[in-house]
Amino acid sequence: MAEPSDPAKYVPLAAAAIGLLLAPEDLGGVISAFSVLARVAQPVMDFQLAEDVVAASIFTPDDGSTG
Amino acid sequence: MTDGVGVRALAAAVRTGQRSATEVTRAALAAVAAGNVAINAFTAVTQERALAAAAAVDAARAAGRDPGPLGGVPFGVKNLYDVAGLATIAGSRIDRDRPPARRDAALVRRLTDAGAVLLGTLNMDEYAYGFSTENTHYGATRNPHDLTRVAGGSSGGSAAAVAASFVPLALGSDTNGSIRVPAALTGVFGLRPTYGRLSRAGMRLFAASIDAGGPFARSVDDLAIAYDALQGPDSDDPGCATRSPEPALPELRHGLSGIRVAIAGGYFASQGVPEVFTAVERAAASLGVTQRVDLPAAGVARAAAMIVTSVEGAELHLADLIARAAEFDPMTRARFLAGALVPGAWYAHAQRFRRWFCREIIAVFRTVDVILAPVTPYPAFPIGQAWIELGGQKLPAAGHLGVFTQPLSFAGLPALSAPLAEPGPLPLGVQIVAAPWREDLVLRVAAAGEEIGILASPSPARRWDTRE
Repeated sequence: MAEPSDPAKYVPLAAAAIGLLLAPEDLGGVISAFSVLARVAQPVMDFQLAEDVVAASIFTPDDGSTG
Repeated sequence: MTDGVGVRALAAAVRTGQRSATEVTRAALAAVAAGNVAINAFTAVTQERALAAAAAVDAARAAGRDPGPLGGVPFGVKNLYDVAGLATIAGSRIDRDRPPARRDAALVRRLTDAGAVLLGTLNMDEYAYGFSTENTHYGATRNPHDLTRVAGGSSGGSAAAVAASFVPLALGSDTNGSIRVPAALTGVFGLRPTYGRLSRAGMRLFAASIDAGGPFARSVDDLAIAYDALQGPDSDDPGCATRSPEPALPELRHGLSGIRVAIAGGYFASQGVPEVFTAVERAAASLGVTQRVDLPAAGVARAAAMIVTSVEGAELHLADLIARAAEFDPMTRARFLAGALVPGAWYAHAQRFRRWFCREIIAVFRTVDVILAPVTPYPAFPIGQAWIELGGQKLPAAGHLGVFTQPLSFAGLPALSAPLAEPGPLPLGVQIVAAPWREDLVLRVAAAGEEIGILASPSPARRWDTRE
């Protein structure tokens, strides 16, 4: 399986896996945009977080009273 | 036009009968008709509705009823806000096919309930994914201070409409800086409130875990009047906090007494041209601010914001990306498609990092109340310019505009972009930031800066107005 660290291989395979048919004229741009995201993601993924640091979102089940 | 007359003055003129709402509305419509071809801020003008609303304000006043705090004040909204009878296009060609909205977005209703008169909808980057309002479908919005340059984005139409004095008030939305960036580049005030402060019901969202709506105006008073009218909980938006309104206007002129203000250093003191840092230093010096503060891992926060944005934006539009990608704006298409392919772990880690970052930021706000920072790394660049050289690096000209805004909105902080009164050839902004829910402090510091004359909305020469 291609890794995100190799966008030229990863992008077409990942796109196909979710039914995203990339037009040939878009492929280069998408690989380039994904490469930017991969580069951007690196320091985020390298940032060590304790297991008890959870996402801040709060889910409040709706009991229907608010319509 | 509103002749540069602000929200407060117009509402007062209508209230006292000096001007009728109909007269004000007709003048604003005429200004749009004369100038919009050059600026390209409005994408739809709701003339009939505006005149009917103005007539209703005049009738209310004639009958001795209160026309409302915004009675007769014309305003426009970014075209991602629902407006009854119009398709909510959000800068896209795809959404032109959607059925017209059946009711106004919550924030539009709050303004019209206060007597304001909706004049139309305003240009933006497609689905809010951009910082320059260079929209291929609807054309670029041009900066009223230099028609060859961008107005910033993604709420570029909103900022330009206020800068050009088509309207004294407009609504935009801000995920990563989409209110603050265009406010800075066009020389107007723009407020991104705390995440969850204002309802987003009836807005076409971009990245729901970060998005916020907010106002643009040409003075702090006007911004505060609008902000106060917009507040209040709304069960139609699950992201809207259940807080009662906390009016900012009554405390606006209480000065800086008791407010600890600092300048953001470190990350916020590089990656831009010298003028933007000088702007912050000038504002700080005028306000007597010398303390400096560092926000930890701000660069990682910006990166995490980009990951979260790309994933949430792509997910929202996934069906269209699969079925009709070719109809997306070439300015956004590749980025949306790439976002659909981001591994889940990147997103989850970015959201967990966000929690860590928020805690660190709150710790900083135990030592200071308000932080000053640049808004953008440079002033408006020419329309069509793809790259910019900075410190020997080649950077995407539009993409890099958010370098100083993205980390702050990622933490959900309220942030105001205030224009420097005398910036030089092009407008420059100063970002005024506080802890969550402290919009009152942000507005008070901006008001203090306005009072001493360092912050003010510079007036462009109206070269586009064919009537002058």
